[in-house]
Amino acid sequence: MRRRVILPVLTIATVGASLFIAVAPASAHGYISSPPSRQANCASGAVANCGDIIYEPQSVEAPKGSMQCNGGGSRFAVLNENRNWPAASVGQTVTFNWVLTARHATSTWEYFIGNTKLATFNDGGAQPGATKSHTVSMGGFSGRQTLLARWNIADTINAFYSCVDLNIGGGGGTPPTTPPTTPPTTPPTTPPTTPPTGGTWAAGTTYAVGSVVTYGGASYRCRQAHTALTGWEPPNVPALWARI
Amino acid sequence: MRRLAVILLLIGALAGCGGEPAAPPPSSFNDTDVMFLQMSLDYIGQGDQVVALAEQRVADPRIRALVVELRGQWRTEADTMRRWLAGWQRPPSADPDAGAHAGHGDLHSLRPADLAELAAARGADFDRTAVSLLLGHLHNCVEVTRMEATGGLYPPAKALAETMTKHRQDQIRRMLTLTA
Repeated sequence: MRRRVILPVLTIATVGASLFIAVAPASAHGYISSPPSRQANCASGAVANCGDIIYEPQSVEAPKGSMQCNGGGSRFAVLNENRNWPAASVGQTVTFNWVLTARHATSTWEYFIGNTKLATFNDGGAQPGATKSHTVSMGGFSGRQTLLARWNIADTINAFYSCVDLNIGGGGGTPPTTPPTTPPTTPPTTPPTTPPTGGTWAAGTTYAVGSVVTYGGASYRCRQAHTALTGWEPPNVPALWARI
Repeated sequence: MRRLAVILLLIGALAGCGGEPAAPPPSSFNDTDVMFLQMSLDYIGQGDQVVALAEQRVADPRIRALVVELRGQWRTEADTMRRWLAGWQRPPSADPDAGAHAGHGDLHSLRPADLAELAAARGADFDRTAVSLLLGHLHNCVEVTRMEATGGLYPPAKALAETMTKHRQDQIRRMLTLTA
């Protein structure tokens, strides 16, 4: 009895364990939230009848190199449709903010209008921090335009795609349906104070930008002012500390 | 942990043989139900750290209302989740070194570094960082609740997942409207 029970139960447990892996959600990773991309306009309800993209605006993932809003293929083809997508009114310089659900090692971020590449930001394989934004010049384009952004992942063949409809320079086209976005307030970059040297990193200490500490035999320079907590040791928090 | 789960499953099955089922019969829930509860508890724990900080420091009253609401909903949801897992004799969290997460790292999680950046942000930058982190986090939560809605077995857990999807989607819509 006992042996007869154990074997099937073990089998079920093993199958269960492999199912556990099979159904694990492993998709999804990022999109432009402002000015709102097409998938952001779907997720916010500004555009109706978008299909499943409303649940996962971050999942527009496809092999690198596509110039289509959905990255090519059939999934989320709604993003390629010629709908009356709301266009955000912007000037010649636009700050694009990303929402990330997985912070992949990144090779580059690219921005296009038509076949013109407006900007490339090379992260050299680094992982993004808590937020990610880029300020991009519109390169003289004006009126209603569709901008394509590509987030190229360093360690996979894939990229994430976001199209943003813009009304650049306020000229041409129909009046924008969304209120103009407030100009991005770039946080003032504090001038580097003379770096206090020496000292071992310690929780509870307030560090200014440029402070230099030692930890685990290495030296680190503070990248953002903060008060250190346990768990924020310099090697753990590249957003706060750069190894020198 | 997998071994422990197997042993628990065995104990459960053998106890069932003895005619004294202490927990719901194993057929009333599946691995997706367990994963949904464990992963959601983990996500709630991570998200709580953002909302706790945001509750104190966020400037925009609309964001404050949202994080207060989120915190209350998470508390209720987590209580239910822990109760079910205990009833099923399953641990409240999956072993991060085993199974689905092996080799996957913490890509889909809020990292200590993200919380550190939030804590270090000031003024409008704080609000922007909080919304950005919460949007990403709630999208991850919704992936798990939708997985349960399609792959789960235990009806109350599937119903909870549906409700959570609705609430999180509504909160995502509000935050996207704020940032647009």
